[in-house]
Amino acid sequence: MDGRRVLKTVDKPFVITLLIILVMGLVVLTSANAAVSAIPLYYVKRQLVGIGLGAVAALAIIRIDYSQFSRFSGLIYLLTILMLLAVLFLGKEVRGTTGWIALGSMRFQPAELAKIMIVISFADFLSRRQGELNTLKELLPCFLYVLVPFLLILAQPDMGTGLVILALILGMMFVAGANPKLLVQMLLVAVGLVALALFLHFQFGMWLPLKDYQMQRLIVFIDPYNDGMGGRGWGWNTIQSLVAIGSGGFFGKGLFCGTQVQLNFLPELHTDFIYAVIGEELGFLGAAFLVILYGILIYRAIHIAYAAKDLFGTLIVVGIATMWLFHIFENIGMSIGIMPITGIPLPFVSYGGSAMLANLIGVGLILAVNLKGNRALF
Amino acid sequence: MQITGLTIKKRIAALFFLFILGLMFLMGRVFWVQIVRGAELSDKALKNRMRDVPIPAKRGIIYDRNGRELAISVSTDSVTANPAEVRKSGRGKETAHKLAEVLGMDEEKVYDRITRQSSFEWVKRQVDFKDSARLKELELPGISMVEESRRYYPKGSLACHILGISGIDNTGLEGIDKQYNDLVGGIPGRIVIERDAGNRDIPEAQHRYIPPVDGSNLVLNIDETIQYIAERELAKAWEERKPKGAMAIVMEPRTGAVLAMANMPNFDPNQYGEYPEKNRRNLSIWYAYEPGSTMKITTASAALEEGTVTPETRFFCPGTIKVGKEGISCSNRRAHGAQTFREVVERSCNVGFVSTGLELGLEKYYQYLNAFGFGRKTGIDLPGEAAGITVPQKRAKQIDLATMSMGQANAVTALQLLNAVSAVANDGALMKPHILKEVLDGEGKTIKKIEPEMVKQVISRDTAQELSLLLEGVVQDGTGRNAFVEGYRIAGKTGTAQKISPTGGYLSSEYVASFVGFAPADNPRIACIVVIDAPTGYPYYGGTVAAPVFREIVKDTLRYLEVPMQGKPETEEDGEKKEVSVPDVVNLSLSEALDHLRKQGLEVQVEGSGNLVWSQSPRAFTRVKPGTRAIIYLSEVGENIGQEEVTVPDLRGKSMRETARMLSRIGLHMEPEGYGLAAEQDPEPGSRLQSGASVNVKFKPAGQD
Repeated sequence: MDGRRVLKTVDKPFVITLLIILVMGLVVLTSANAAVSAIPLYYVKRQLVGIGLGAVAALAIIRIDYSQFSRFSGLIYLLTILMLLAVLFLGKEVRGTTGWIALGSMRFQPAELAKIMIVISFADFLSRRQGELNTLKELLPCFLYVLVPFLLILAQPDMGTGLVILALILGMMFVAGANPKLLVQMLLVAVGLVALALFLHFQFGMWLPLKDYQMQRLIVFIDPYNDGMGGRGWGWNTIQSLVAIGSGGFFGKGLFCGTQVQLNFLPELHTDFIYAVIGEELGFLGAAFLVILYGILIYRAIHIAYAAKDLFGTLIVVGIATMWLFHIFENIGMSIGIMPITGIPLPFVSYGGSAMLANLIGVGLILAVNLKGNRALF
Repeated sequence: MQITGLTIKKRIAALFFLFILGLMFLMGRVFWVQIVRGAELSDKALKNRMRDVPIPAKRGIIYDRNGRELAISVSTDSVTANPAEVRKSGRGKETAHKLAEVLGMDEEKVYDRITRQSSFEWVKRQVDFKDSARLKELELPGISMVEESRRYYPKGSLACHILGISGIDNTGLEGIDKQYNDLVGGIPGRIVIERDAGNRDIPEAQHRYIPPVDGSNLVLNIDETIQYIAERELAKAWEERKPKGAMAIVMEPRTGAVLAMANMPNFDPNQYGEYPEKNRRNLSIWYAYEPGSTMKITTASAALEEGTVTPETRFFCPGTIKVGKEGISCSNRRAHGAQTFREVVERSCNVGFVSTGLELGLEKYYQYLNAFGFGRKTGIDLPGEAAGITVPQKRAKQIDLATMSMGQANAVTALQLLNAVSAVANDGALMKPHILKEVLDGEGKTIKKIEPEMVKQVISRDTAQELSLLLEGVVQDGTGRNAFVEGYRIAGKTGTAQKISPTGGYLSSEYVASFVGFAPADNPRIACIVVIDAPTGYPYYGGTVAAPVFREIVKDTLRYLEVPMQGKPETEEDGEKKEVSVPDVVNLSLSEALDHLRKQGLEVQVEGSGNLVWSQSPRAFTRVKPGTRAIIYLSEVGENIGQEEVTVPDLRGKSMRETARMLSRIGLHMEPEGYGLAAEQDPEPGSRLQSGASVNVKFKPAGQD
C-alpha cells in the first residue's frame, strides 16, 4: 500500500486525536519532569525515544496484512509465556514487583507487550470459536487459554495488568458473541469470590497469594485517611492526588505551578499519577479535555472495529480499545479516589517506554485493521 | 448458534455505550473533585505544604500623657519543636532528655510534646537567655528558637493596676493591656514555610513572611508624675496606718481624664506571680464601700438643685433625730444646735442631712442618685469595674432615705464617688472617666483621639457653684481643715463610715476614712479622692486619715501642673506677687521655649546649637523675679526632663531586666538591641550623661561574641 493511499483511507480523526493526546502528554511530562528530575527534559527525551520506536513499529505493522497474525497466533502465545517466564526469573525487582528486564541500558516491561500479544492470540482463539461461546463448557477453554499468562503476570506480582487482561478478554468475548448472561454471572461470581477471600483474610487470617501491603493498597482508596497512619501511610497517594486535582479548580494553577506536583507531594507523578498533574496544573479544562480526547479515540477505534473486514480484526481492535479504556478508567479513577491504586499507566501520557511502545503497536494494529477494512468497502 | 455480523455490530455498539458511560462517570467525578470540592481541596493543598511558625507581634508601648514610657516590649526566646523533624531524626529520647535538663522540665512531658503529630509545638515559652543560648549550642534536631516579645514595665509597680499584666501569649490579662488588647496587641505574624512532602524546607524559598503588625502605642491620660505623687502619699499612709486597703484617684473634672489611680496593696507587673492575687485588684474601681459623709454631696446637690434648701436655710440639730421608730444621731451624739445649711455641710451634721433628705423625698433622692451614676458602672476603660450596690428604690423606706442621705446603705466605688464630685466641680456636668487619651501608630501619628464624653448634666451650673462654695467652707472652716493647701482654694468633703460586718450590722472597730474634693474651688483643675479602708490606730476619721493624704497629693499636683497660687490677695506680699514661675521648656523647640519664657517676662540666653531644648536653668517651676535671665541649652536630640548629670554604669554581662533597672534608677533610657546579656554599650561606662538621655545597649546570647 503506498503512502498516498494510506493517507487517503486512514481514519484521520483517530490519528489526529492520538497526536493531540501525545503532544498533551509530552507537555504535561515536561512539567512533571521539572518536579521529579534535576535534568531538564530527561523524561521527555526518553519518552520521545519511546514514541519514536513505537511509531516505527506501528508503521511497520500497518504495512503487514494483519490477518497474517492469525497464522502465528500459537507462536505469539508461546512467546508471551516465555517472555513472562523470563521476567520472573531474570527480572529486576522495582518497588516489590519484578516486572522489568534489562536490555542493555534500557529496561523493558514485558507485561506491557504481553497485553497486546494476548489480544492478538486471543482474538484468533475466539474467532475460531465463533458461535461456540454459549455454554459454560464452551467458555471455559477461553479462560483456561488466558489463565497461564494471567497467573504469570499476577506472580510478578502485577495486579493492575492482571485486571486489564481480565477486562479485555471479557470485552472481546462479549463482542465475539459469548453468552452475555454467562459472562455477567461469571463476573459476579469472581467479584464475590474476591470479596469473600478478602473478608476471610481480614477477619480470620486466611492465606491469600497477595502480600498485606498490596491488599492495603488496593482497598485504602475507599477511606484514605484510615490507613493506620492518619493519611500518611497507604492513603497518602490517594489523598495527595485528590488534593492536587481538587486544588486545580477550573483553570488549573498553570504548568510548572502546581504546588502538589512541584513540591513532590504527589508520588509517581510522571508515571502513575500524571493525571493529577493535568488536574492540578491545567484544571478541569485540561482534565476534561483529555477525557474527551480519549472518548474520541475510542469512538474512532470502535468505528474501525465496526468496519473491520473480519471478526479477527474486529476482536483485535475491541481488545485494544478495551485495554485502553480500562487503563484510562483505572488510572484516572485512582487519581480521583474511585479506584484502587494499582500502578497502571495512562495510555500515551504516562511516562514509560514499554507502555508507549506497546500502545503504539496497538495503534498500528488498529490502523492495519482500519486500512484493510476500508479497502474492503471499495 | 452461528454468530452473525449483525450481532457483533450490536455487541460492539453495546460495548461502546458502556465505554462512554465509563468516561462520563470519570468526567463527572473529576468535575465533583475539581469544581464542587475545589475550594476545600485547595485549602488542603495549602495546609499540606505550609508550615506556620508564628511570629508574635510586639505589643505597643504605653505612654503617659507626656509621652513617658509606662510599658514596653522586650525580646525573649521561646523554644519550639517541629515534631515531624524530631521523629525523623530518631533522636527523640535524647533530645527530650537534653531539653528537660536545660529547661528544668519533666523529661516525659517534653518527649510527649516534641513527638506529637504536628509540625509545631512550643516546648517552653520565654525562656531564660542562658538556657536558650545553651540549647542553640546543642543544636538539637527539630528544636529551634522563636523570638517573642514580652511586656516589660520599666517603672516597676508604678500604675500597676492601670497597666495591668500581660501573659505569656503576649496578651493582656488585666488592666489597660487587657482592655485595649486588640489595639495594643497587634496582629501576630507568621513565617509560612513551604515544605515538600518530606517535610523539608524548600530551598528555592517560596517562604512567605507575613510580618506581625505591631500593636499600636497607647497614650494614657495618666500623668506619670501625678501617679507617682499619689502612690507616694498613699504608700506613706499605708505604712503609717496599716489599713486593709487604700485608694487614691486624681481626675480632671472638665474632661473626665483620669490623671492618676493608685491602690494599695500593689504589685510589680514584671513579677506579678510573686504577689498575692488580691494585690492585683484595682480597688478604686472594684471595691464598693459605704462612703459615709462624702456621699452627702449628693444629698446637698439634690436639695440645692430642687430648691428645698438654700445655703442659708436654718436647721436645728438637737444631736439626734427620730425617723419612724429609729433614732439617728450626729457623731458622738453632739448637738450642733441652730445652724444654716452651710454649717450643716461644714460640720457634716447627720441630723441636718437626714432632715434635708426626708424633705426631698425618696423619688427626688433616687433621681439624683441615679443621675450621678451610682449603682451603675461609670464605663471607665478598665476591666473589672464594679457597679456598686444601691438600695432598690421599690424597697426603700423612710429609714433608708434617712440613712442614704447621710451616706449609708449604698455601696459605691471610689471612682463613682469621685466622678460624681467631679460633676459638681465641672458645673454640674457628669463626664465619663477615661484612662486612654489617644492611640498612636508606630510612627507616632495619632490614629484615634478619645474626646471627653459628657454623660449628663446632673445639676445646674449655679447649683454646682453654690455647692462648691459650701464644700470650700468644709476645708476652710469645717471637718476638712486637714485638706487645706496653702495658697489654693480647696473644696471637699470628709467621710468616715463604719464598715459593714460580713455577718450583718456594722463593725464597731473598722472604718473607711475618705476625703473627696477638688481644687481650685473656683476653677477646678483636679478632683481627687482618697479612701483608706480600715486604718489601724486612732483617730480613724476621714478628716484625720484621708484629708492629709488628699492635701499632699493635691498640693504637689497643683504645683506640678503650675496652677497659679490664689491665696488671699491681702496676705500676699508685693515682692511675691511679682514673682513668676519658670516654665518647663525642656523638650520644646527653640522658638516655643523662647515664647514661653518671654511670656513670663524672662530674659533668655541660648547656649549650644540645635533646635531642641535639653536643659534649662533655673529649673522649671522655680519662682523668680520677672526679668531674670534664663539659660536654655540646645541639642540636636532633645531628651526627657532631668537636669542631673549621671555616670553611665558598666552594664556588660547584665541581663536585660537588670540593665533596664540600673538605667532607670539613674534616669537613663535603655535602647535595647538583640537579646541575651548586655555585650556592648554606647556610651562607654564612665561617660557622663544628662539623665534622661539614652544608652544604646546591644544584647547577645551568652557565649556568643
